[in-house]
Amino acid sequence: MAVFLFAPPGQDQEWQPPVDVYQASWGWILKFELAGVRMDDVNVHVTKRTVTVSGIRRDYMVESGCNHYSMEITYSRFRRSVQMPEDLNGARMRLDYRDGILFVRIRTREEESE
Amino acid sequence: MSEEAVKVLPVLPLKNTVLFPYLLMPLSVGRSSSLAAVQAALATEEKEIVLVAQRDASNENPGQDDLYTVGTKAVIRKMSRPNENLMEVLVMGSERVVLVRVDHEDGYLKARVSPSPLPEDRGPEVEALAQAIIELAAKAVELAQPQAPPELTRMLASGDDPLRMCFLLASMLSLETTKEQALLEAASRADGLRLMHAYLSHEVQVLELKSKIANTARNEMSKEQRDYLLRQQMRAIQQELGEKNPEQADVDLLRERLEKADVPDEVRKELDRELGRLEKLPSASPEHSVIRSYVELVLELPWNTFTEDNLDIAHARQVLDEDHFGLKEVKERILEHLGVLKMNPNAKAPILCLVGPPGVGKTSLGQSIARALGRNFERMSLGGMHDEAELRGHRRTYIGAMPGRLIQAVRRAKARNPVLMLDEIDKLGRDYRGDPAAALLEVLDPEQNKSFRDNYLDLPWDLSKTLFITTANTLDTIPRPLLDRMEILRLSGYTEEEKVAIAKKYLLPRQLKESGVSAEQAIIPDETIRALIQGYTREAGLRRLERAIGRLTRKIALRFAEGNTDPVTVRPEDLGEMLGPEPFTQDEIRKSVGPGVVTGLAWTETGGDVLYIEATLLPDGKGLTLTGQLGDVMKESAKAAQSWVWSHAEELGIDPELFKSSGVHIHVPAGAIPKDGPSAGITMATALASVYSKYPARNDTAMTGEITLSGLVLPIGGIKEKVLAARRTGIKRVILPKANQKDLRELPDEARAEMEFIFAERVEQVLENAIPQVAQRLTLLHA
Repeated sequence: MAVFLFAPPGQDQEWQPPVDVYQASWGWILKFELAGVRMDDVNVHVTKRTVTVSGIRRDYMVESGCNHYSMEITYSRFRRSVQMPEDLNGARMRLDYRDGILFVRIRTREEESE
Repeated sequence: MSEEAVKVLPVLPLKNTVLFPYLLMPLSVGRSSSLAAVQAALATEEKEIVLVAQRDASNENPGQDDLYTVGTKAVIRKMSRPNENLMEVLVMGSERVVLVRVDHEDGYLKARVSPSPLPEDRGPEVEALAQAIIELAAKAVELAQPQAPPELTRMLASGDDPLRMCFLLASMLSLETTKEQALLEAASRADGLRLMHAYLSHEVQVLELKSKIANTARNEMSKEQRDYLLRQQMRAIQQELGEKNPEQADVDLLRERLEKADVPDEVRKELDRELGRLEKLPSASPEHSVIRSYVELVLELPWNTFTEDNLDIAHARQVLDEDHFGLKEVKERILEHLGVLKMNPNAKAPILCLVGPPGVGKTSLGQSIARALGRNFERMSLGGMHDEAELRGHRRTYIGAMPGRLIQAVRRAKARNPVLMLDEIDKLGRDYRGDPAAALLEVLDPEQNKSFRDNYLDLPWDLSKTLFITTANTLDTIPRPLLDRMEILRLSGYTEEEKVAIAKKYLLPRQLKESGVSAEQAIIPDETIRALIQGYTREAGLRRLERAIGRLTRKIALRFAEGNTDPVTVRPEDLGEMLGPEPFTQDEIRKSVGPGVVTGLAWTETGGDVLYIEATLLPDGKGLTLTGQLGDVMKESAKAAQSWVWSHAEELGIDPELFKSSGVHIHVPAGAIPKDGPSAGITMATALASVYSKYPARNDTAMTGEITLSGLVLPIGGIKEKVLAARRTGIKRVILPKANQKDLRELPDEARAEMEFIFAERVEQVLENAIPQVAQRLTLLHA
């Protein structure tokens, strides 16, 4: 049979940014690689144990009058869901965007000072 | 799904493929319009493009009508350029769209597209079809890639949208564009599933057939291997048991025979080599049997086997006389050879050629020669043989090769010094495959046949001790060089006396024995035999006579079988009743002959014959007419006779005016039998002299001889047969050329005593003796 390429089932046709998950004494830090994405275009959604980051990477850097010669960065819609090991209901969340990385901090425990 | 309304997007026409939503597809883009379309798509933030299949893959500049109306909107994920004019693009199908309008703008195609969301109908049919497709897909995967991980089918089953599963399968099967497009355009899930089910079923059938073919091939292969393995095992077991395998046993047997066989060293070495090869060959190999039969032949040949010659000359003479009546010359020659062998055992055997009409006993003479010498006798007929290879064999490389007939005869003879009879050597054929006579040249040359090489045998074979006897009916058709190598012994026809003697001594006892009648029961006197010979046979030999006697003895046997007890005596007058009317009437002397009819003598293959030459004048005619199927030599001989008669007209008392005023016609009956030869020269001269002078020739005188223009009479052949023919007819007076006087010795004594011979040197002598009136005139002239 022919070689075939397909998106893994269960995922949609949007692209998926890579993600690192850190465990801290107070909760979780999720680090999404989202270079070139405007924060206005990012939407973070938490339901129970799932953290979903979706949005769109626009090709806004383009200067007028120039064309793509090649393209390795994937633009357009992206969506990434991460399953967490505990219930996130009632957790507090803070977003932070620095150097092309989106940090999602989720505080699940009241604890000693940061 | 995107809910956006109508959009204008660049279009990338696809050749030979369809992009389905949810699937990634790498594409190579080379067309300048397509490059421009991709460029335009990349210039937007969404990087969206519409991919739609072309109806005709060969169209390089498709317009709206050349594209299907349903395509797939896709996002360009990655793009790179391996070179200036080519783009590698990775696209991800996102949504089914309908192309509302396609325009060519800015160097590429743009389409107004409206989304056409995939159907989402549900129901038992959809579920059933989905199940069936999963099963078929599992089967297809198993057939195509038995080692494929099971994840594939599990993955197929895990999706919640059956249409998506179909898209995935379609991209895996290499379906035709029209089929893929039909799937993409499916109006409902059920439709799409049905299509997919049909495609897959077909695919599975093809795969099943393929694997069946592959299996059959594999099975055949393994049967052969299995046989081979079993055979090897059997061999191993036999070795363990101390038994030999059958082939080895075979070879050992042959080796044993070789040990015992009395063969020359050269042959032993050759056979040793062949046996070595035989050992290494499996018995199934065709070469095996070839070598085997070769070795067997060589072992069977009598390399050093000789029969001991019986050199007792008295005994040999007795045997020859017992078997054959007369034939003095031939018997004498055989006894000579015996004498030579007695004095010099290493003498070369002569090569004899017995020539004579059919039925005179050539073949049986060969047998009795072998008996007299105490040698083995073998006979082969060369009649009709036209292939040299039949004589000399085929080389062993040919399938079905056999040794030549000579070697086969030697093998049957079982001795190296047999009497080998080559029958009918005058009837050898020849064609494009070679000339057997040429091969015989080597065989029959005592200087060369010491090392005769048969193509099959491929070893020299010594034929020099073989006594060759060939037979022929005529020497005319034997090639000169062949004739040159042989010693010719003529067996001319038998006279009536000889025939009677032979019939009494050999034929009658043999036929009586055949019929189971004793000599006492059947009394057949000499006159009856003579009547049989005269009325029922016309031949030089004895075959018909023997058959006639056979018929007679069978009739007698029938009488005894019917209850008769008295001995039966067969008288000549009984023959008509027992054998039917005589087929041959004895040539009678023509009682009254007018002028121009003369008795001639002819030689035929069955003996001699009397023929009348008739001449008549044609008043007011011209020239010489010859009829009766005469050959050129005979015609010329007639002209010579005519010229001589003309030039001696006065002496013969012929009116010269006759030559001018009338033509002459010579006819030689029987008109249907071709005749040739110069021996009727004097006969025709006599006929012409008679017809011109109007004096009849004597009807009791026969003549034969060649004539020359100056009137000489030259000798001719076949005197014995001709004279005997004359005697049979009752003619007692024969004119012969003087030079043939010596040939009279061949005649039986009683014939010589009974007949009057006139020997002529010149035509005048012939005429004197043939036409009484001319004799008187000539005497007067000379007086």
